[in-house]
Formats: sequence, structure tokens, C-alpha cells
Amino acid sequence: MMKVKHPKKRNYRQRAHSNPLSDHSFDYPVSPGTMDWSKLYPRFKQGDEVKFCDVGCGYGGLLVTLSPMYPDKFMVGFEIRVKVSDYVNDRFLALRQDDEVYHNAGVIRTNAMKYLPNFFRKGQLEKIFILYPDPHFKKCKHKWRIVSEGLLAEYAHVLQVDGLVYTVSDVKEVHDWMVEHFSNFPLFERYEPPEEDRAAQVLIGSTEEGKKVLRNKGQSWTAIFRRVDDPYLVSRGAS
Amino acid sequence: MSVLQYDEHSNSFLIGIGEHLYQYTNNQTKFLVKCGDVPEIPDSEGMEKGKRPRAEGPAYITGVATCGECIAVISNNKVVETFDREFQKRGSTVAIKRPTSVQVTDTNVVISDKSGDAYSYDLQLTNRKYLLGHVSVVMDMVLTPDQQFLITCDRDEKIRISHFPNCYNIESFLLGHEEYVLKIRLLSPHILLSVGGDRKLMLWDLVTCSLLQTITSDHGDYTSVTYTSPYLITCNSRHVTVYKLTDNTLTLTSELTSDHDIVSLAASSARVLALTREPKLESYQLSEGVLSSRSEVEGEFDLSKSVDCALPEKKKGVRTAGFTEYFERKRKRIEEETLKDETRKVQLSR
Repeated sequence: MMKVKHPKKRNYRQRAHSNPLSDHSFDYPVSPGTMDWSKLYPRFKQGDEVKFCDVGCGYGGLLVTLSPMYPDKFMVGFEIRVKVSDYVNDRFLALRQDDEVYHNAGVIRTNAMKYLPNFFRKGQLEKIFILYPDPHFKKCKHKWRIVSEGLLAEYAHVLQVDGLVYTVSDVKEVHDWMVEHFSNFPLFERYEPPEEDRAAQVLIGSTEEGKKVLRNKGQSWTAIFRRVDDPYLVSRGAS
Repeated sequence: MSVLQYDEHSNSFLIGIGEHLYQYTNNQTKFLVKCGDVPEIPDSEGMEKGKRPRAEGPAYITGVATCGECIAVISNNKVVETFDREFQKRGSTVAIKRPTSVQVTDTNVVISDKSGDAYSYDLQLTNRKYLLGHVSVVMDMVLTPDQQFLITCDRDEKIRISHFPNCYNIESFLLGHEEYVLKIRLLSPHILLSVGGDRKLMLWDLVTCSLLQTITSDHGDYTSVTYTSPYLITCNSRHVTVYKLTDNTLTLTSELTSDHDIVSLAASSARVLALTREPKLESYQLSEGVLSSRSEVEGEFDLSKSVDCALPEKKKGVRTAGFTEYFERKRKRIEEETLKDETRKVQLSR
């Protein structure tokens, strides 16, 4: 078999912003039950499930870091940009050749804003990562933001109760926006992870974006949220 | 949007043509009220003047919903209105975006809109509360009779069941359509019907959130659907089909072809009304699942007002993003690199 070379980023450059509201052509399953994950993970077996999702995984830095840390968990990155997702795909193909370890991580080119429920059943995920999301500063672009009141319901839906959302941004306004939205949402509460939460330790240093911020001596802000039971239903004695 | 609605509370049909709402009962039609007048929103609404939504676009009725004491109407120019049973206006407001469907209960009006959001208001339409958001147009909406769940469907093939009024809590998605979901109807407290741009009609069990039955139409795109227990009547422009629901299964009972494109259907136990594109109003008798005695409803309708009936664009025909060029260049690049490597290997070995 021809040896897969490690991809070079210069061959995969693409503009940072993509309109998530338009109908680019994507492949996505009609429903979670019809998704064939074994195409992405060579060792995926009947009964296995993807447990971590990196929403907007960029060039794959977080997944490359998390993959050997959680060898028993399948994890996927969603990336809307064709060339960038292609880079991550090639990156993992090359990594898997060099090392047995990276068989549990992969990327899907898709629109997380629209198709999360197509890939994941209710309560499937244990962790969702939203690292350095595109700020979309202009007010008219706010509806392109990956964190919004409407989308929080979908994140809560695919995440198990007590599951965690990890957020990072080097733009204070974006960090504040995410904290405000998640904190005010009835199904999430702010969470201080214990020392043992290894994912929390690598949030800043593992992504290309994070490394750039560190190099430029900038600052990153993190916030982690836990998915909780619906207080409205709890107060009515239901669940 | 339904501009034709059977109102079981008054045992009559409500018909919206242009800005005018009419009532049809016992072969008689009656003009009720003109809708879509842009309200003067008082300052007490608590919204700064510059931020209030503004009405825009031609005013014509796009949806009607009824409950015991209240009728709610949405119009194309974003105006939402509520009336009592004497058709005296109870409340009036301008929605943020063009409303796409409306439901009403004894305490709330719920609307969905073209940007995918749903809001609830009190019956006077003074307090607005955000309920949920889809990432694409919400095409239709149903509030369950027990008011425990709000079911919404969108252009991205999804049917979403949310709790109500805690709509941030999604109970389930019903996924199966491969194009926009045009209409959803509750056939019973536990059975939901959906029709989509994929020309499929799907029957769903709301207790198990699973698919019970799929019927694919050979007659083109669905334009409307209506239910009067136990008969389901669907139309694909000119083709009308009647099914009977027994034991959670639909079986065909009759079909017919109309001379006109039908955009909206409504049914009582013995009668089916069809609003056509012209617009004309056709009436059929319904008996044992068979439609007969077609007649045209005469009335003081202002038929110069045309009816909005455009179906959304389908996705599957969407032009691909042109990335085939990228993959072609990539393939060439890899070929060239491999060739270079092999030539170098050969040179080194000499």
C-alpha cells in the first residue's frame, strides 16, 4: 500500500469564514441509526458509539491531542470547510500508519449547526468541544455564531445528563457571549472541572489557534458547562 | 400555511383569501373581517421604538388557528391578530420575521417564522416569549391538545418534538424525510402525519418516536393535507387521495383528479373544501372515504386576490460547491509528488 505522507498545511489553505446557513452540498445520514461509522473508524464495532465531538475542529489539533489520552473513546471533529476537513482526514490517515493509537479519531465535513441530530442520538455524547469559534463580530452575522439560544437546545439534546461542554476563545467578547448564553440556559450550568479532568488541561495548548495565541502572548479564556436535568420538569416531579 | 381551516367549535370553515377572512357553513358564505392592518404599537409594549419589528410586504392571510374563544390569524406582512368569536379584534402585533404557522390555545398564541424561530404570546399579543429555534425555515407546527409538546418541522428535513412551554427541552427528533417537511398533522394524540418534498407521506408513533408507515407518491409534490377522523385527504396539486386510518395503518380508499391545482384542503366529517390556485373554492361530499358531488362554492369572495402557494426549493438538485476542482488538483499534486519520489529513488540507486 502506498505510504500516506503527512499533509502540509500550505496545500490545504482555505478562507476562515463559511456561511453555515447556506445549503452547501454535504453528506449526512438521514438519522443516527443509518450512519456507518466504520467508514471513519476502521475498528468501529457493533455497539460502539462516538462519545466526543469537536465542533469546528479546524486543522485537528485537539483531536490529535485527545486521541491517545482517551484510547477507548471514539471521537469526531466536525468541520465545514472542505480543504480543512480534507487536511484533518489526511492527517489521521498518516498518523494511523505511524502509530496504532490514532484509530479512534476522525473528521466529518458537515455543518454542525444543522446536522448534529442527524449524527447523534439523544444523550449520546459525553463531551462537546467548542474551541476558538469564529467570532462573527458583525451583528448581522450573529446568527452564524455556533453558540446561540436556539442551538443550545440541540447541544443539550445530543449530550448526556452530566455531560460536559468545553469552550475556549481568545476574544473576550465571544467568551462572555458563550458564558452568558450557556449560564442562562436551563439545561446547562457553569462547572469547575476537577484536577483529574485531563481534557480541560489541554484546551489551550493543543489547537493551532491556541498555539498561535500563546506565541503572540495573547490571552485565552475557558469556560466549561455541565448538562443538567430540566429544572421545569424536576419541579413538577417529572423527569 | 393553511388559508383554509375547519373550525370544529363553530362547525364551519374559515377561508382566507387575500386580506379577507370568510366563513362557510351550510352552503352559505359570509365575510367576517379584514386582516393584516398594521397596528399602532403603544409605547407600553416595553420595546424601544427603533427596535420594533416593522410590517413589510403585501398583506394577505397566510394562516388561521382556532380554539374555543379565540381565532388567531397571521398575514404575509408579519401582522399577527387575535379575534374573539364575534370577530372583534382582541390583539394585534407585528412579528419579528414573517410568520409561517400559528396555533392558539385558551391562554397563548404560538407562531413559527421564516427564520426558524417560534414564539408564544398572550392572547392580547402584548408579551412575546422566545420558545425555540431551528436553523432553517419552520414550515409547519402543531401543539399537542394536552399542551405538553410543541412539534415543529423545517426545510432541513427535520421534525422536532419539544416540550411545551419549556421548549428548550427537546424530547425527540423524527428523522426520515429527505427533503423539506411541508406539513405535519396530529391524527390522534399519539400519531403524527408528515408529508415532504421527497414526495413521501410518513406516519409516526409519538410514544415510541418511531416510523409506522411510509407511502411514496407517484403524483408529484404534495401541496396540502387534511384529516377528519378516520380519513386522511392529501393533494399533489391536481391529484387528491383519500386514505382511511385503521390500527395505525393508512389504506387507500379513493382518488380523483381535479381540473385545478389545489393549494389548501380542509375537511369536516362530511365535506372537503379545496382552495385552488386561481383561487376557486371547490366543495366535495365525503362519504365512506369517497369524494363525490364536486361543486364550486359561490360566494362574495374577492377572487382577484391570488393565493400564495410557492413550494420551497429542493436541496438534492443544489449545485455542488465546485470543490471537484480542488480534489482534481489534489490528485494531480499527489501523482506528481509520487513520481518525483520514485525518480529520485531510481537516481539514488544508480
